[in-house]
Amino acid sequence: MKQRRIIAAVGFALVASVVAAACGGSSGSESEGGTPTKGGTIHILSNGEQIAHLDPQRNYTGDDLAFAGSTMHRTLTSYAYAGGDAGSEIVPDLATDLGTHNEDGTVWSFTLRDGGTFEDGSEITCADVAYGVSRTWASDVITDGPTYASSYIDAGDYPGPYKATAEQQAVYDKAVSCDGKTITFNLKVPVADFNYTTTLLAFSPVPKAADTGEKYDMKPVSSGPYKIESYTIGKSLVLVRNENWSKDSDPIRSANPDSFVYEFGLDEAVMDERMIKDAGDDQFAVSFGIQPENLQTVFEDDAFKDRRVDYYDPFVTYTNLNVKNLSCVEIRKAIYLALDRDALRKAGGGPYTGDFADGYIKPALALDYKKSTLPDGLNADGTANVEAAQAAMTAAEAACPEVAARAKAGLSFYRPATPTWDKAVAIWIDSLGKVGIKLKDEPVEPSVYWPTVMNPETNYDIARGGWAPDWANASTVIPELFSTNGGFNLTRNADDPDYAEFQTKVDAAKKELDRTKQGVMWQELNQFVVDRLWALPGTFTKAQSIWGSKVGNAYQWAPFGAFNYGDLYVKS
Amino acid sequence: MFLFIVRRIFFAMVLLLAVSFFTYMLFAMLPSDPAALTCGKNCKPDVIAANRIRLGYDKSLLEQYWLFLKGIFAGRDYGTGAAAFSCGAPSLGYSFGQHECVTTLIAQTFPVTAYLSIGAFMLWMLIGISTGAIAALNKGKWQDRAASIFTSIGVSLPTFYIGLLVLFSVVIWLRILPFPSYESPFDDFPVFLRTMILPWLVLAVLSAASYTRLTRNGMLEAMNEDFVRLGVAKGLTRRIILRRYVMRQALVPIVTIAGLDFAGLLGGAIITESVFSLPGMGKMSIRAVVESDLPVLVGTTMVAAVFIVIANVLVDIAYGYLDPRVRVK
Repeated sequence: MKQRRIIAAVGFALVASVVAAACGGSSGSESEGGTPTKGGTIHILSNGEQIAHLDPQRNYTGDDLAFAGSTMHRTLTSYAYAGGDAGSEIVPDLATDLGTHNEDGTVWSFTLRDGGTFEDGSEITCADVAYGVSRTWASDVITDGPTYASSYIDAGDYPGPYKATAEQQAVYDKAVSCDGKTITFNLKVPVADFNYTTTLLAFSPVPKAADTGEKYDMKPVSSGPYKIESYTIGKSLVLVRNENWSKDSDPIRSANPDSFVYEFGLDEAVMDERMIKDAGDDQFAVSFGIQPENLQTVFEDDAFKDRRVDYYDPFVTYTNLNVKNLSCVEIRKAIYLALDRDALRKAGGGPYTGDFADGYIKPALALDYKKSTLPDGLNADGTANVEAAQAAMTAAEAACPEVAARAKAGLSFYRPATPTWDKAVAIWIDSLGKVGIKLKDEPVEPSVYWPTVMNPETNYDIARGGWAPDWANASTVIPELFSTNGGFNLTRNADDPDYAEFQTKVDAAKKELDRTKQGVMWQELNQFVVDRLWALPGTFTKAQSIWGSKVGNAYQWAPFGAFNYGDLYVKS
Repeated sequence: MFLFIVRRIFFAMVLLLAVSFFTYMLFAMLPSDPAALTCGKNCKPDVIAANRIRLGYDKSLLEQYWLFLKGIFAGRDYGTGAAAFSCGAPSLGYSFGQHECVTTLIAQTFPVTAYLSIGAFMLWMLIGISTGAIAALNKGKWQDRAASIFTSIGVSLPTFYIGLLVLFSVVIWLRILPFPSYESPFDDFPVFLRTMILPWLVLAVLSAASYTRLTRNGMLEAMNEDFVRLGVAKGLTRRIILRRYVMRQALVPIVTIAGLDFAGLLGGAIITESVFSLPGMGKMSIRAVVESDLPVLVGTTMVAAVFIVIANVLVDIAYGYLDPRVRVK
């Protein structure tokens, strides 16, 4: 999912994310539980001008998914409302259970609960879910959303519901079939964690008669406890209770407040000052992010201890090394050891920006995370180990002299042309220069950075990256980043002698239906990549948030790195 | 006078056409790729190419510009099949970021900017001209020195600084007013006034400083003119001399600058709107820049250009009225 607030930091414009947070890396607090009360209004202060997408099939941003999923859109499965690791557990939502599958995970079925209704009181049917999912194929209208449905489901050349011929629609209806209240998905490939995929709002129901295509984004039909009262981009979104929602049909959302008011377009300095002052309606407000100049005020004053949190957001930053050009591990190791990661972190804002990553899977993916063993000589405090790097460089000159010569002549370093990266690249050049490696800076206009580096004809040596998984399973990390058929493999590692072994292990992990065993397989694959340094781990990034003194039960919801909107309440 | 006005309007139309052409071309040639910004995480080359076609950016720049011009008079259609929709004339394009026709977006945001501009303009003219007149009539006295201090402060303080200072002190710290939340005056007039009073004052006080200086200098200059001395010698009252001769002379440069300042403000008081969270056109323009929302960028620039050109025409006409020699030329 896209994560607006991280864009500047990692240069990953419009990148998505879900899994995040808290697991051991969170400090600060949760607001005390108390007894949740019904009523009142929760305010959400935002620097953004709108929710990126309220159309469920286009919603793909951590915070937006958390908000829209908590308030307006139900899907087949969701995450438990709980702090820490427990929040990454999936639970049935519209479905009665977590789905059933055939032996190899290519056919998945979910049965809808009784009593689920849209805001007009009409019953949510299997056909509504099937129609909602079908919209993701219409990539020329339903833009920005996840495309897992169309990647996994065996629907031939189905173009989506707006352009489909009767024959194409019949193919889709066979691939996603309804039998009473049971919806069945026939997949092209085994997907062991398809019931995690269905946590995405792309699997939310949409009533066909209400679908207005591109315009649906502004007034989608609610299937959750709240509906839109008013929505003005740049001003506010007001949600009020959906009288046709029934708690009996929805075991996971508390729906305590009577309404939510999302205030858009606020100056960040003003947001911080309002939250710090904690007066009037701002006592009932939550705010995403704190400006660097206010972090000390909020985190060094005990007055804020019950209404602040410092937590892992969903992102991991890393640096792709073009394995085709930098084909021996010694040179990749020399780069890693020589890099002054501490200076980079300081330039980015210091420890509040995150912890040094030990791999590509964040601790929030509890089942899949295991601390990796990093290369010998890497300084734990992030400073450069020039001596060890020099030794690695000497080894590289012996093992692969032509690659070492290339490094000395100058490696092309692709990065977004942002002020943050203007500073960072100077540290890169200085660090690597100490072991004789030259860098050729290649700043790229941020809006075209990803298309540029994803273009196979762009012959970079080093390219910056950042990633967040789409659901709480490293199946959306390791294969995506390092498999040749993954969506964002920028390491060009297909010719590495160990690649075939890697891909075999990935295929096996993807098919493993035992979640615990699968987690161990991802841990091993994470270490496999770290050992070969196809990419250099950067930072497990962090974010900070604050809420008003009269907001009850606030915590960071791990799967989204966002507030637990569906579980908040207004203190009486 | 009629021919003078016709000539000015004709040249204004030509100017607007030229502005539309250069604006469109300038923004279209920026290095950012609007198509690449429409597909989020799945921005792979084939998806970008498809979106480029959908947005019309696959066509030549001249063809794109022609479609833009045509849309102003005939409207534009987007998409195909069941998902098709259109933006009626005058269409300035469609914002896929904000899911709305640009003309509609401008119609939504322009009133906010207009209310802000009109209120602030009236206040600053009132404060600026009266303070300047008082200073000129009391040259060298404490009133003149106070006005001088006021102008020095006014012209040296940046809007964002004074805006935040006023907002923090009046709204957040002292809580004299609630946090601004814009409402249309037709929906809730008291809330509208409460929301607008601070932005009006901030803009007015800062802009009034220049007008104080202009008025003071203009009046002092006019008071030394021969025709004023003649009026005094002929025994005209001070009031008549000031109203008919001094102010009329002093107002000529003020009219010029006020017209352009006001028109510029109608294009969006970007900083004031941002600080006070007013959903106006200036704030929308800034967002369009950040998000490379080309249609909004071109649309708002065009609207701002229209106001500047109209203001120029009106200023020229006012000049013609105030100084008949201009008409002859």
